Amino acid sequence: MRFTGRFALGVAVIGVPLVLALLGPLFAGDPGPRATSFTLGDGHWLGTDFVGRDVWQQVLHGGRPVVVTALAATALAYAVALPLGLLSALTHRRWLEELLMRPLDVLLAVPSLLLILLVASVFEPGAVGLALLVAAVNIPDAARIVRAAAAEAAARPAVEALRMQGETWWRMAVGYVGRATLRTLAADAGVRLTGVLYLVATAAFLGVGVAPDAADWAVMVDRNRIGLAVQPWAVVVPALLIIALTTGSNLLFDAALDQRGTAASSHRSTDKERRP
Amino acid sequence: MSGLRSFVARRLLLGALQTVAVVLLVFALTEALPGDAAVALAGDQPDPARIEAIREAMDLDRPAHERLADWAAGLLHGDFGTSLASGRPVGRYISDGLGPTLLLAALTVVLLVPIGFGLGVLAARHAGRLIDRLVSSVTLAVYAIPEFALGVLLVTVLALQLGWLPPTAVGYGTDLLAHPAVLVLPVLVLLSRPVCSLARLVRAGMVDALAAPYTVHARRYGVAGIRVRYAHALPGALAPAAQQLARTIDWLLCGVIVVEALYVIPGLGTVLLNAVAERDVPVVQGLAVVFGVLTVVLNLGADLVAHRFAPRAGVAA
Repeated sequence: MRFTGRFALGVAVIGVPLVLALLGPLFAGDPGPRATSFTLGDGHWLGTDFVGRDVWQQVLHGGRPVVVTALAATALAYAVALPLGLLSALTHRRWLEELLMRPLDVLLAVPSLLLILLVASVFEPGAVGLALLVAAVNIPDAARIVRAAAAEAAARPAVEALRMQGETWWRMAVGYVGRATLRTLAADAGVRLTGVLYLVATAAFLGVGVAPDAADWAVMVDRNRIGLAVQPWAVVVPALLIIALTTGSNLLFDAALDQRGTAASSHRSTDKERRP
Repeated sequence: MSGLRSFVARRLLLGALQTVAVVLLVFALTEALPGDAAVALAGDQPDPARIEAIREAMDLDRPAHERLADWAAGLLHGDFGTSLASGRPVGRYISDGLGPTLLLAALTVVLLVPIGFGLGVLAARHAGRLIDRLVSSVTLAVYAIPEFALGVLLVTVLALQLGWLPPTAVGYGTDLLAHPAVLVLPVLVLLSRPVCSLARLVRAGMVDALAAPYTVHARRYGVAGIRVRYAHALPGALAPAAQQLARTIDWLLCGVIVVEALYVIPGLGTVLLNAVAERDVPVVQGLAVVFGVLTVVLNLGADLVAHRFAPRAGVAA
């Protein structure tokens, strides 16, 4: 009973920013002429921003880049981590496993935001570049989790039986082991998406992968800070939306994880806290 | 005993490899530039004199492996090269920014440990009851909030609306310790995420330990509850927490960069962001090496501590 309550709370918290992010651009309408910077009222019910654009319109447009970049980065991270982890869990060649996993152990040492800033100092990554970077930062950890989950499934008697029946490697790897690890991976994907949202928003706040006047909640917080004393809404509204987005996704996935209550997911719930 | 020693040796080897990887990765950055690195770095002002100056400063005419050898040898002596933007040694930038950043990090860690453990033990003692649910939900919610969003909201409410604290550190110089009010908001924001994760971890460890046969047994022998809790159960929750403390370094680093930008504190994070904006590659590289090696060393230390407390818990390597 409590779990469903928490689930509903998560949905409620994430609902507003998610709907705004996905449907906002459809209802934004024409940008209209620019007004004076940092004014309140005058037909702009959230006032104007640092270059005199309507804040409400920017809010309607600004969620999509955050959400889409985060989703793309999470999907990309798994697109690489899944084959890497499965292959190293299922191979019987010790050297191949070491070759695939050891470089990732080494990469885990580099702080994520530092790596992103390092690349940003040399290239000027756009939205695609930011998604690629955030995905790359997440690959080592995701691959380790895929490998651990797949290794557990691959050690089951069912796999031995499949092998004795002469099933193909592909059927065993994808048909059985891949499917058996889905539940653990779904739980991990939720936790990872929360972390990715954090990283995407923070990078955008620091100006990585976004235009300086982009309609993006994190950029709005950064650029409109100078007018905080005059026109707080241009900062407070996007900041609250980002908080609702990240908090909501964390609450939602934690509740979903508890509801499943499997041995695998309870193991993960302690593991996720340890993740950088 | 040989098991322990071989673990330490393996972990030390991994740490050394990670250090080398960090240095190589940071160096590879300039090599990854498409075309002529000097032209690419000149960016918006591509006049020939500036391109030539950059080429000169970074020795771009020499082969990469020679430059790598020189740079790495310099790093060993504490020589980080010179800035492209100002011509000052990178080491000077680092020593200038170190004070405020160390102060922020030290204050945060000093407060983090008692608050994190305190909240975790509190929640575990009342597991399942209102106070536990309260602590658990609040830590879960705050855990995910990016520092910049929390930071601007705190500034808006506590500094601008209520006027209790200064909104930024502008005008207070580098001696921040003389103005403790300036430090309240930055440290509060820096603490938000690590405290939550540490508290959740300690709570989970304590709940497990308090239900474990050995604590039940200790209670059956009539050992006082407080002793069971702190002398028997808490050490069991320590191993994962020690590792979390090291992982926190990664967060503190991310947090410090954001918090310094937000509150205009002249620390290493600000130096890094300015260098990134100016494409001052030697400064970025120097700072990246310092931050990267620091992370490697602290993670190494934490894994060794965790291994000491729980030799059977297979920690990395």
